[in-house]
Amino acid sequence: MSDALLPSTRINLEKAVVLVLDDNGASLDILSQVVSGFGVKQLHRAESVTGAQSLVKTKTFDLVISDVQMPDVDGVEFIQWLRREASEPNRYIPVILVTGHTRKTDVLRIRDAGANFMVAKPITPKVLLERIFWVAREDRPFIECDNYVGPDRRFKHEGPPPGTDGRRRDDLPAEVGTAQEPNMSQDEINNLMKIAKVQL
Amino acid sequence: MSVRRFQPDNRLGGMIKQKGGLMAKDAIAAAEAGVESLREASLKALDDALAEMERSYGPQADRSEASFEMLYLLCLKVVDVAGFAADAGVDKAALSFCNLVDNCAEARVWRWDAIDVHLNAMRLLRSAGAHLPEAERANMLKGLYKVSGFKSDEG
Repeated sequence: MSDALLPSTRINLEKAVVLVLDDNGASLDILSQVVSGFGVKQLHRAESVTGAQSLVKTKTFDLVISDVQMPDVDGVEFIQWLRREASEPNRYIPVILVTGHTRKTDVLRIRDAGANFMVAKPITPKVLLERIFWVAREDRPFIECDNYVGPDRRFKHEGPPPGTDGRRRDDLPAEVGTAQEPNMSQDEINNLMKIAKVQL
Repeated sequence: MSVRRFQPDNRLGGMIKQKGGLMAKDAIAAAEAGVESLREASLKALDDALAEMERSYGPQADRSEASFEMLYLLCLKVVDVAGFAADAGVDKAALSFCNLVDNCAEARVWRWDAIDVHLNAMRLLRSAGAHLPEAERANMLKGLYKVSGFKSDEG
């Protein structure tokens, strides 16, 4: 399967059990229509976090798509609950958050909620399908610690911040030290890239 | 602080690769057709939200009890369904309005002149935005962004 979602890429969501959560009925209808169009047969809708929590307690899901801004308890709190208090395997399922506008005070809350991805409203089927494809192929490790539960928020591995030792076991120190061997000659470098016939 | 790092089973990843299913282009087309069936209801929801904004926060409204939260939620209601009026620029104007109300809420100060500008612009865009020359619509949105401090590349 290709890395990018091409028009000809096959995607089978027939057996996926999906939960969509949005307090605005019109928006929930749009989300539901989009997800059904993707071939999802088992779609569960919730208009409140309480309703979504009841569903999560009784069914096993493969994907959650949730709005962020909702009155009383919002989508961020729902994801935090899901990641910390729901039972396995629901606790680790892919989560896509959808939001129309991100309040300044919500930026860090959303980053730390534990969702896999965020999609801007108004949603378009193409973008949502790309994100579903992306989270389905997700290979980021999961992190569980006191103040965060969710997929690793670092997409790129660029080493620890300067001046720190890093927290990952495989973090390398920023200081690489002096070279142990002489530099390669230009010929040696050229040979590394030389086109050669391969016997198959 | 203890940190557990592990790789949970991603069942969705296994499912999408199974035989059958749809080609992405067909899945997108089916989803677009399904969404299209909601056009009328969604535009009604959009117009209801705009009317409620006007009624509760327009120049004729009693603004003494105005709630930042309620107006912000009304703006979000418009954004939710504004994909159907994207050709008129209503989606972008609604995002600008969200930004304005968020800024007001943060400062705990209403900027009624800027709110009126947004209400007027949204009314105009909704009724005639799709028929405006593109440059004129873009200039109008640019003006709104200037008033609200919205950066169009941000959500």
